[in-house]
Amino acid sequence: MSRSIISLLFLLLCVTSTAQRLGKEKDTTEYKDRYGIRVGLDIVRPIYSFFDENDKGFELVGDYRLTKRFYLAAELGYRDHTRQEDFYNFTTKGQYIKAGVDYNAYKNWLGMENMIITGLRYGFSTFNTTLNESTINSDPFLPERTETDPVDYDNLNASWAELVLGLKVEVLQNVFLGFSFRGNVKISSSEPENFRNLYVPGFERVYVNDYGFSFNYTISYLIPFYRK
Amino acid sequence: MKPSMRSVFLILAVLLSLSCERDDICIDEITPKLIIRFYDFENPELFKDVANLKVNIEGADGDYINETITTLTDSIALPINVVGNQTRFTLTLQENEILEQKENADILEITYTQEDVFVSRPCGYKAIFNEVVPVLEKDEDNWIDDIVPLKDPLDINNESSAHVKIYH
Repeated sequence: MSRSIISLLFLLLCVTSTAQRLGKEKDTTEYKDRYGIRVGLDIVRPIYSFFDENDKGFELVGDYRLTKRFYLAAELGYRDHTRQEDFYNFTTKGQYIKAGVDYNAYKNWLGMENMIITGLRYGFSTFNTTLNESTINSDPFLPERTETDPVDYDNLNASWAELVLGLKVEVLQNVFLGFSFRGNVKISSSEPENFRNLYVPGFERVYVNDYGFSFNYTISYLIPFYRK
Repeated sequence: MKPSMRSVFLILAVLLSLSCERDDICIDEITPKLIIRFYDFENPELFKDVANLKVNIEGADGDYINETITTLTDSIALPINVVGNQTRFTLTLQENEILEQKENADILEITYTQEDVFVSRPCGYKAIFNEVVPVLEKDEDNWIDDIVPLKDPLDINNESSAHVKIYH
């Protein structure tokens, strides 16, 4: 939690500083927005992967500007996640793709191209899950039984709808820092027999009633094609 | 900073804190216990209470080593061993002067096959017991007259009703 607050503050600082810098430059000519493709990656996932054996992954992000306010956006990623629950632990490995649109709800000052994003995505993931170990949940006074033979559940998939709230701030020429928070609702999934899809790559943890939350911190680079 | 920007940050902060809530406390039914009801041998339709009953379960540790039910009851629930395919219960009626009851131990053994069933994220897997066969070990002076499973074949997969009748 504190980590996310710090990141939010950091982004806030960026917004105000660019605002001041550009405020001083007064030009009388008509300013044209840059249109192009923006590509980047999640900057937190690799750090997690380095320090945490049980949480590996990466994510590539990209968007393409369609109109003044609308962008085509997509994310592509891979996750290898092990989760310890009270009575068992399991590993889910798989890849995901999310595609949709971003809408920039922020009215920029002239010359600025920052974004407050509200967006929608359709997400799809294919993955394999392995139940590594499980202890039968039974009476605590009697001896317990733990099954240590891994059980594989392969070729699973899930799809979901995702609501995106986020920010993208230009910190250097053509370089953007971004943060986004996502609320997910599962549309479909192939459930394994005698287990459940408790984690889906891209969707993250599946809460009761098939809801999920995820977020990313990104750094991306804008390749401008033309001005309009 | 514009007010619209501020409200977006507020919404983000609230949503972030919501995502950290824990929802994994196990409230679902886990591995079922064996539920026994005591009936009158002379009048098989009627329940008959037992008093000062002590139950030992082979392999158990902790409180079940010397669990005594001192009150009158016509039903008990006993945990079943998930290691192996049998559980031996020693049901001992303890001495009681008012009821003119002498100490008497009878052994009930159940054999079964097990099946592991996934319950939910917080509860994990429970065992259910199939093809349960209860057997009373005969001795010179049994206080239990007969043991009858309520269903044949008997599967123990929930605790919603009794599984075994004991006539005494």
